[in-house]
Amino acid sequence: MARYGMALDYKNCINCKACEVACKEENGVLLGADKHRIWVGQNEVKGEWPLLDIASAAFLPSQCQHCDDAPCQEVCPTHATYYDENHVVRVNSDKCILCSYCMNACPYDARYVDDRTMTVDKCTFCSDTRLARGETTTACQNTCPTKVRIFGDLDDPNSEISEVLRTREHFSLKSHLGTKPKLFYLT
Amino acid sequence: MKIGPLNIPFKEDFSLKSILGFEKSFVNIIVAISVLAMLGMLAIGITTYLLHGHHAYNVTREHPWGLLIAVYIFFVVSSTGFCIVGSLGDVFGFKDYMMISKRAIFGSIVTILAGFTVIAFEIGHPVTMMIYNVLSPGLTSAIWWMGTLYGLYLTFMIIEFYFLLNNDMKKAKVFGLTGLLVGLAAHSNLGSVFGFLNARTISQGVFYPTYFILTAFITGIFLSFIIMGFRYKLNFDEQTKKLLEGLAKIQGLLISILIFFVTWKLLTDMYGGMPNRAEVAEHILHSTSFHTEVILAMIIPLLVILKDFGKSPVLMFWASLSGMVGIFFMRYNLVHDTQLKPLQMMKTHEYQLAPEWIHYFPSSAEIMISLGGLGLCIFLYYVGTRAFNLDEEAHH
Repeated sequence: MARYGMALDYKNCINCKACEVACKEENGVLLGADKHRIWVGQNEVKGEWPLLDIASAAFLPSQCQHCDDAPCQEVCPTHATYYDENHVVRVNSDKCILCSYCMNACPYDARYVDDRTMTVDKCTFCSDTRLARGETTTACQNTCPTKVRIFGDLDDPNSEISEVLRTREHFSLKSHLGTKPKLFYLT
Repeated sequence: MKIGPLNIPFKEDFSLKSILGFEKSFVNIIVAISVLAMLGMLAIGITTYLLHGHHAYNVTREHPWGLLIAVYIFFVVSSTGFCIVGSLGDVFGFKDYMMISKRAIFGSIVTILAGFTVIAFEIGHPVTMMIYNVLSPGLTSAIWWMGTLYGLYLTFMIIEFYFLLNNDMKKAKVFGLTGLLVGLAAHSNLGSVFGFLNARTISQGVFYPTYFILTAFITGIFLSFIIMGFRYKLNFDEQTKKLLEGLAKIQGLLISILIFFVTWKLLTDMYGGMPNRAEVAEHILHSTSFHTEVILAMIIPLLVILKDFGKSPVLMFWASLSGMVGIFFMRYNLVHDTQLKPLQMMKTHEYQLAPEWIHYFPSSAEIMISLGGLGLCIFLYYVGTRAFNLDEEAHH
């Protein structure tokens, strides 16, 4: 029993996309641009040469925020979307009716349709793969060459993520929506 | 009258022959061929869907709801509208409106059946839905409430229609009132499916749950003109003229309120330039489909009503046809506009910028199933007019 979350030292991201590849490989996500559980968002560089605004060209790795008050879970008519014992937002594909309400309700565009089961799929923090095997890291975290991601139990005061959230300033995406994301961006 | 199973009174001459034995006028033949073509399209559309699943549709990760959701809403709004108009007479006791009650309640049944048919091929797993809606109901989900209440509503409408057919007005009133209340609850829940979308600021809020009830009433009156126009071949008797004049006056008021609502919705959306809301509202304001909605569903019918305060039922019939096309655009716009703004504004693929607006145009399968739903609705209604006496009878 844990309450998993992830902190992202996003300014270290070099947009190598190793995390995207590792996620697809580890979790058997289908190929195709639309079929992704995680992604690296990129701002276009603003300004004109030579006065380029380099600070605007940040990379923002993102994925399901595993919200504590997840809109996708609230709108699901059959409880197909649920919190597992580790507070990870999951989809039970046996119960999913593909009404797509969760895809519309998720403020983070974190859901897509898995063509094999024709149900909605999303990031699971590798719950079916790495965590199920007893490992304590996610594929995206494990593969990151610049150590952008810190994954761990938010309820454990001694975990690395708890410590980093105590000692570094951070923000969450679209926090004004009251979703209480468990993804934290370190500044 | 011949009494069928469960004491259902059918017309004496109801048979396959009576269904095929319509007057072979030019208009009737055109309508019959169109309906057959639409039913054929329904079959082709469904087959394409069964072969290719959601790949047959142009819905995407960014625009997961497409034409079929809009058409489902179109039909269930029509059903609620028919129910409201039908209730004026048999539930609320307005005698002038009694003559349309049975016809309108039957209309509410066929339109919702058409809606359920269309949505069955939009929901990925309709059978799973029926099982888990019961076994693990998501009580915080507006879709759960909407679907469950519409199921109940259909049941009450069928029971009400049964008692209307049997001229048992007391029981019809009880089930009619219950059905109306459940229908209104279902319908405002359908509005809340959009109103609860906190991520989509253009739709979020109290507007849609209330606006849906208003537009349902408007739709019901448009449809009343259309079905009465076909019933009397635009040659109305005095009693019908009185009914339609009353409905036209109510419609004038309702459309005025609608224009008022929509104007303030857009103004509040744009005021202050709130991110993700103001620019979407401005985009909507400049879109052709919104102009079509306003002209066909609001301006043309209102001008026709204002011309002589609803005393031209024939003109109102044509204005109502225009109104229903406008109402279709209203539903399409509602669904599409909700999803216009991308949620992920950053570039996610190399060499590909994030879109400013999400584009969507329905696939041929979506269009065929939608037209098929319309064909099914007209066909079921026509069979109903052959099977049952939908005119008012002398009451006990």
